[in-house]
Amino acid sequence: MSDDIKHHIVTYRNVFIALLFLTGITVGASYIEFSSLTLGLFVGLLIASIKGFLVAANFMHLNNEKSFIYGTLIVTIVFFFVLLTIPLSWDINGHDVKTERNNPFDEYKVVKEKSHDYHDHHEDSH
Amino acid sequence: MKIPYNEDLRPDTGLYNAKLGIWLFLASEVMLFGALFSAYIMLRTSDPYWFDIKPKLDIPLATLNTVFLITSSVTMVMSWVSLKLKDLSKFKIYLGLTLLCSFGFLVIKYFEYSAKFAHGYFPAFSTSFACYFTITGLHVLHVIGGIVVFLYLIGPGIKMWDSEPERFTNRIEVAGLYWHFVDLVWIFLFPALYLL
Repeated sequence: MSDDIKHHIVTYRNVFIALLFLTGITVGASYIEFSSLTLGLFVGLLIASIKGFLVAANFMHLNNEKSFIYGTLIVTIVFFFVLLTIPLSWDINGHDVKTERNNPFDEYKVVKEKSHDYHDHHEDSH
Repeated sequence: MKIPYNEDLRPDTGLYNAKLGIWLFLASEVMLFGALFSAYIMLRTSDPYWFDIKPKLDIPLATLNTVFLITSSVTMVMSWVSLKLKDLSKFKIYLGLTLLCSFGFLVIKYFEYSAKFAHGYFPAFSTSFACYFTITGLHVLHVIGGIVVFLYLIGPGIKMWDSEPERFTNRIEVAGLYWHFVDLVWIFLFPALYLL
């Protein structure tokens, strides 16, 4: 038991170093100009997922846990992705795939553009 | 009457009750933060007039906060290891360090929020600031919740070590699981809010 715990201590130290290293990588990635916001989000969340895995597997002992907890977590993850996907499939980047409906923010855009047109016209008349 | 399965494992789940309880609670927490996170990503990717808060946020301070939380996770798990090795004095040191890091996190958050308020950046300023304050505010409440539990466990709650050491060790494990989850949430919030 004691040897097993001591082995754990070494693992915790290594995970700690890895987490600090990956934090540095995350900050470094923020200085890269990504071609799209989605790609930037993907890279950021990918590194975060690796860090999250290290914490969950080692500190939360999910690498060696009872099947009941795995079952609970699988259900949670399924519902989490359903939750994450519902709004994203409903409306992403200004276009609704299913109904071809425009982005709700477009209404605001039209009002704003009209307001610009009015001001431009107003300025021209002076 | 003694509450069953505080120390012994239930034959059907193979777990003591508190551990099953905390995991069910954490599952509900995943859905709570998940809802806010998916709302944030949807707003962030679909709003053509998104006010970019990245230049207004203090990345070095947030990085320091990340280091504080990661360190506190390690010290928390080490406090549990100390109890497993029957070393109460080391347990106190490690839990004390966890508390120190969590207070450090709160102090930095106080300076961050103060700087935002001083410049007039309140939640009503923009959708981006509304997201920022809602999500980080909820996370700060979780940190405060953790601090309250740790103060109890290192203060009056430590008496249990003399009467029921196994049950006390389980309490520390459960408190640790909660704390690692708080760390996990921050690991995802840090790049999503501050860096991208």
